[in-house]
Amino acid sequence: MIKRLVAATAVAALALTACSGGTGAGTAGGSGGDNAPVTKIKLVAAEYSKDNTAAFWNKFASAYKAKTGIDLDVQVVSWDDIDQQSSTMIQNNAAPDILNLNAYASYAKDSLLYSSDEVLSDSVKSDLLPNFVQSGTYQGKMYGMPDLSSARALFYNTDLFAKAGIAGPPKTWDEFTADAQKITALGNGTVGYAMPLGPEEAQAEFSIWMFNNGGNWKTDDKWTINSPQNVDTLTFLKTLSVNDKVTQNNPGKTNRTDGAFPLFQSGKAGMVVGFSPLAATLDKDAKVKYATAPMPTKAGGAPATYGVTDYLMAFKKPGNQDAVKAFYDLYYSPDQVNTFIKAEGFLPVTESGVKQFASDPKLKTYLDTLTGAKLTPTDDPNWDRVKLAVQQNIGAAVAPNGDPKAVLDKLQAQAESGG
Amino acid sequence: MSSAPGGGAGAADTAAPAPPRGNRPPVAAGSGRTNVRSFAALPWLGPALVLIAAVVFYPAVELVRASTSDYSITGLRKGSAGLENYVKVLAHPDLGTVLVNTVVWVVAVLALSLVLSLGLAQLLSKEFFGRRVVRWAVIIPWAASLVITARLFTLLLDYNYGIVNRFLLAVGIRDTPIDFLGDDRWTMPSMIAVGVFVTLPFTTYVLLAGLKAIPSDVYEAARVDGASPWQAYSRITLPLLRPSLLVASVLNIIYVFNSFPIVYTLNDRNPGFAHDTTITFMYKLAFKSADKSVGMSAAAGIANVLLILAVVLVYLRVSRWKETAD
Amino acid sequence: MSTSTVLDTGPSTVPGRTPRAAPSRGAGYRAIRPYVLALAGFVVAALFALPYLVMLLDALRPSGDVLATPPTLFPRTWQWNTFGTILSDERFLHWLKSSLIVAATSTVIVLVIAVPAAYFTARHQFRGRTIFLLIVLMTQMFSPTALVVGLYREFFELNLVNTYLSLILTNTAFNLAFAIWILQGFFSSIPREIEEAAQLDGCSRIATLWRVMLPLTLPGLVTTVTFTFIAAWNEYVVALTLIQDDARKPLTVGISSYVTGYQQSWDQLFAASLIAIVPVVILFAAIEKHLVGGLTAGAVK
Repeated sequence: MIKRLVAATAVAALALTACSGGTGAGTAGGSGGDNAPVTKIKLVAAEYSKDNTAAFWNKFASAYKAKTGIDLDVQVVSWDDIDQQSSTMIQNNAAPDILNLNAYASYAKDSLLYSSDEVLSDSVKSDLLPNFVQSGTYQGKMYGMPDLSSARALFYNTDLFAKAGIAGPPKTWDEFTADAQKITALGNGTVGYAMPLGPEEAQAEFSIWMFNNGGNWKTDDKWTINSPQNVDTLTFLKTLSVNDKVTQNNPGKTNRTDGAFPLFQSGKAGMVVGFSPLAATLDKDAKVKYATAPMPTKAGGAPATYGVTDYLMAFKKPGNQDAVKAFYDLYYSPDQVNTFIKAEGFLPVTESGVKQFASDPKLKTYLDTLTGAKLTPTDDPNWDRVKLAVQQNIGAAVAPNGDPKAVLDKLQAQAESGG
Repeated sequence: MSSAPGGGAGAADTAAPAPPRGNRPPVAAGSGRTNVRSFAALPWLGPALVLIAAVVFYPAVELVRASTSDYSITGLRKGSAGLENYVKVLAHPDLGTVLVNTVVWVVAVLALSLVLSLGLAQLLSKEFFGRRVVRWAVIIPWAASLVITARLFTLLLDYNYGIVNRFLLAVGIRDTPIDFLGDDRWTMPSMIAVGVFVTLPFTTYVLLAGLKAIPSDVYEAARVDGASPWQAYSRITLPLLRPSLLVASVLNIIYVFNSFPIVYTLNDRNPGFAHDTTITFMYKLAFKSADKSVGMSAAAGIANVLLILAVVLVYLRVSRWKETAD
Repeated sequence: MSTSTVLDTGPSTVPGRTPRAAPSRGAGYRAIRPYVLALAGFVVAALFALPYLVMLLDALRPSGDVLATPPTLFPRTWQWNTFGTILSDERFLHWLKSSLIVAATSTVIVLVIAVPAAYFTARHQFRGRTIFLLIVLMTQMFSPTALVVGLYREFFELNLVNTYLSLILTNTAFNLAFAIWILQGFFSSIPREIEEAAQLDGCSRIATLWRVMLPLTLPGLVTTVTFTFIAAWNEYVVALTLIQDDARKPLTVGISSYVTGYQQSWDQLFAASLIAIVPVVILFAAIEKHLVGGLTAGAVK
């Protein structure tokens, strides 16, 4: 009996220590010094939705395999965890071949990426929308290939607007305040504007207001976070919350996904800044009657649209250049890229995509402005830090004791010192 | 700590819910352990040691290496950083807040859990109608994933759509909702309440197992001696539960220190570090704050382990663990 | 009451401390005692289950109603098919299978490794014994979040990324501490006389451990199994990092897909989470009765 236990222990110890073999999926990309073409590449993709993201990429992998003979390992990671996952891989020199993320410039700065000259066919590159090419370009070369885009618009609850006797969406900030006050006055917990300045996406919420007051994060290649317009904008947002009291409770600590959007979806908010996935949810629920409009501007000038794109970047690894190029060729074929974007409910990144989507009346508000949409400075590696600083600090400015100028001064100093 | 007459002799062992043996002679350590050479232990302890070395200590060494390395924000190692990451963590403007939060969090969750668990374990050790079902119900918060429980509570406690506020308003306890997760006065108490809720099942079952190890004849003897229920509890049950309490509290100190999902999720709408503990501080340093430094995060991780180790060693010393273990 | 006062109650009552006089509870209390206990039990059960009952009600309404303002306890529209949808989702079933394989295997290996270690430590004095117990305890102090980078490196070099084995090894190692600590406590508490008697009866050392000691430590084993299974079942960050194939993800990682920043299915998230609780409760229900019943009472006589 002793023998049996000792044997069992020994076997267990062996099994636990001699950890070779197994059924590992193998290291992605070749690790050999030679540049023999790889037979397998790895994609780490961010998850936009449970129903569509993994399904699309798995199908894509089959198509890719059929076309090139190369295996495509797909790992879909939630947005909450993808920074940690990519960092872990890079710390261990195990970067994937393709990474899907909302930033790329720091990776380009670290010389980890292929530029479009190396992996993008000319026909593909010329089809990309120019403002996305620009935001994907770091020091004169394009590294951030856009996978999809979205544009923000003002969503307003038409029932509440009618009840409050408001004819149409506000065009200026004064009208905006007045409308929000009328809706708040309806009572019963209704708020004029659901404002998410919590850490989840504060930089997006602030950007869209900032752009519509003539401000920007950077102007002529210099940080202008604490410019007078921006202080004015943030002060306006604080006033909405603290003085006018037309926002929901505690906007500096409200996130978008589980804070501002649900309030609008419940019919309790007159206005919110939304994007096409919100529209899809609202249509599905069919509880709230809403319409979309361009953002109001400070003085009533031409509205600016805030656009966002995420990126598919390619890591330089021995022997994977052709495989990566084939990946992009296939991804940007209209059948693939537009199918993905349509399934996820986002907006196109190519000229041909804009044409294809133009027939959808629901997307008209966005498509008209997409080519002129302004983006955050994702082409500056420092932005990757500044964005986090913004997310963690802006909310404090709209609290009752908040100081918009002080907050922006601090962010400006942080940006100037390299994030 | 009171020094009981008789010293450690005959005292219960480390984790031992030891049944008392009437007049246990004051022999060395009273453990009845045979002395053996260390190598004789290898076949018995070997597999555990190998596994711990491979799966815990190797990555821990990597963590130390990371804490002395300089990283780009992408995770690319750029070279050695010496002790710079540690210096930066120690100089971090929010470190003080984080440490105070951690002390409040650990002490409150631990103390409340232990006190409540003592009562719960007592209840669950009694025979009563429906006891099995009650035992199943108590295990649910433990069985459920912490991430999900934390998410559930962000919904339950929300200012706008939280059912808890709905209830408070409906029964007239409050006129306006409480911003449990956004109001600075309420955030920590809310996190502690949820922390206690998920810590109770584990603690209760460790104490219940301890209670079950106390022979009933001890109580009979006490009853014959005319002890009141409270006397029986304070003089017999608690002392005999001491080993279980020790295990429950030592492990809970560690778990509560390292409890990530509750603090992170309930606090995810709050900017900055106002309600973070050392473990979420560590994570945010790497991925959510403008520091975005895995080197600093690793340094904070090492500091966190040293902090826990110090607290546990002090705790074990105060509770005279070593004396009884050797 | 602080922890230290709890522990301050030393093995023998300190001389001079007068115990508080207890309110005497007479025959009247004894008569209603069963009802009082049952009522207390009911209240406790309700408190623990209540949040999860709300979760169940949330699973039974359309996702858009879950975060609705104002909230209602009961669904405005009952959506009965959420659980059916989840259980017929192939991906969910894969995740469930992964979780079961990893948690069950880890639990078995923990027992196989921890029982001999705990038994030996409880019964023998040797150089390094205290160090061994402290080392084991220290494994708990490293948060997996901090270690995950090193774990990835290790399993990557071993070509074990994306395998169940990597998760099983990790879960086993991280849960050994609890098992060894609690089991060695239970072994220590069993009077040596019992073991000696068994050996006099001709049992071998291992037979004694198997036939005499283990049955006596059942409450400890039950606690260990429960603890390990739950810890492995709910492990998140290591699985997130080490598993890349969707089909091999465990439930904890998989179900995060139900709610993303762009598409939320709160109903399905909660239904899936409730289903995930079921195996644990079944396991617990099956072994819970061994927590009952005194341990060594009357065994040494």
